Amino acid sequence: MTAILETTNLTKIYGSEQAVNKVSFSLIEGTSTALIGPNGSGKTTTLSMLAGLLQPTDGMISFNGEKHADIRKHIGFLPQYPQFFSWMTALEFTEMAARLSGMDSRHTKIEAQKTLEFVGLGEALRKKTGAFSGGMKQRLGLAQAIVHKPKILLLDEPVSALDPVGRREIMNLLKSLQQNMTILYSTHILNDAEEMTNQLLFLRKGELVEQGSLSDVKTKYDSPRYRVEFASAQDALTFAARSPWKVSYEEIFAFIDLDNELPEMNAVLGYLANSGLGIRKVERQTSSLEEIFMKVARQE
Amino acid sequence: MKNLIVLFQKEWRENTRNFKILWIPLVFIFFGLSEPLTSYYLPQILEAVGNLPEDAVFSLPEFTAAQVIMATMGQYQFFGMLVLVLGFAGTISRERKNGTGTLIYVRPISYLSYFLSKWKVIGTIALVSVWLGLLTTWYYTELLFGKVDTADFFAFAGTYSVWILFVVTIVVAMSAWLPTGAAATVSLLLVLLVQIVDSLLGAYWTISPWKLAIYATQWLTGSPDATNFWWSIVVTLIAIVGLVVFGVWMSKRNASKTKI
Repeated sequence: MTAILETTNLTKIYGSEQAVNKVSFSLIEGTSTALIGPNGSGKTTTLSMLAGLLQPTDGMISFNGEKHADIRKHIGFLPQYPQFFSWMTALEFTEMAARLSGMDSRHTKIEAQKTLEFVGLGEALRKKTGAFSGGMKQRLGLAQAIVHKPKILLLDEPVSALDPVGRREIMNLLKSLQQNMTILYSTHILNDAEEMTNQLLFLRKGELVEQGSLSDVKTKYDSPRYRVEFASAQDALTFAARSPWKVSYEEIFAFIDLDNELPEMNAVLGYLANSGLGIRKVERQTSSLEEIFMKVARQE
Repeated sequence: MKNLIVLFQKEWRENTRNFKILWIPLVFIFFGLSEPLTSYYLPQILEAVGNLPEDAVFSLPEFTAAQVIMATMGQYQFFGMLVLVLGFAGTISRERKNGTGTLIYVRPISYLSYFLSKWKVIGTIALVSVWLGLLTTWYYTELLFGKVDTADFFAFAGTYSVWILFVVTIVVAMSAWLPTGAAATVSLLLVLLVQIVDSLLGAYWTISPWKLAIYATQWLTGSPDATNFWWSIVVTLIAIVGLVVFGVWMSKRNASKTKI
């Protein structure tokens, strides 16, 4: 497991505002990392520094162990709202992008064509980008980011401007790229983060407040909650009224929040077994990433 | 000079598709054509459209061939400069503002290539336009007013070309430094206002890029003072190099201001 990219105390200050504050993380080759956090938490600033658009005020970015490397050679970048020259066709733009990234001009046309077909723009190769819809622009944005086969793909909210169908298609494309590229993407659509993440980076007010694998973060912030399905609403009501734990109920379901999972769980099961109530099912509910997001975002 | 060819091709294609390679030469050709024609046919034009009383007598000066060519340059010095400044003041700043620059700046380009690609294309368009216009005016002046010495004309046009290149460099460098509106304003101030200041107070100095246009016209009536002329050329070339360095530095520094 080698880190292809590493940031050390990455900091960006605008006047008196600290947009990103001492952020350190590493990206392991061939993994996907989701950068999440509320609006204004510094996600785009962090990506912009990695993409070479912004000069860090302090801190360091190293690529494959090489410090202060110009990583523009190794990245593909997709901004949240990619803008193209409206007078260029999709093929011309993708070809130019490939050549500017250092690809041999003999291969650019064929590679650009293949990439555009891969992102679903095979029919629009020779259409001017000025006539493109939002979804087509996002696909072209992805094409220009991957055409030169970069080692690292940086994506700023790659699907947030898309409708559900477009979102699904782009997510599938990204998943298929995962095998060959290291992906770092910011998102506030947490379903996507759950779907395609080896590592989570949680930014809040410019600081990296949580970092780890999805399961680590989930375990850390998960609070034990059990759902009991009763035979009747009356049984659920009776249980809620009598039980010594924090219980809420809704129709035939009772929800038990525990402070201390293991010993208490045994007690709950013992209580239920001896209660004489009609019980159909007991299941543990895990917190969604969205619930964890809310918890971390609210922490001060 | 990485990527210069790719960026040059992009600039050229852009100026082809927005028709600047067509309409800018046409403007210069129009002034190059209209000056000798209106000068020659002025009495007839006044008679036809002047609405003058029947007994009005006009004594119009007789223009020399050199004066007609100078008058064309006079038009270029105002309208031509306006066209060049307003046509190209957004060349870099607009790419930052609308975000089209972002997907260029994230690639391993050199900002020298980025700046030079724009400078070369705009310089080519400007010089070709000015030369087409001046050749047009030369042709019609010879036809209607008399001979202009070929060597004198080329010395004049060559000197004026250095001034044009200086103006183009100012415009591209200002676009690298400032937003489009400010770039256009500062460029116009530098090109037009400084020219007026130079002509009002310029008696105190003889070496200046803003004197090149005057020295250019002096080739048509004689020849400029060699020392002043050559030093002005040298100073202008140094200023061009300085502006290119400034423009490259500003392009790089301001890349972070691109819309993301």
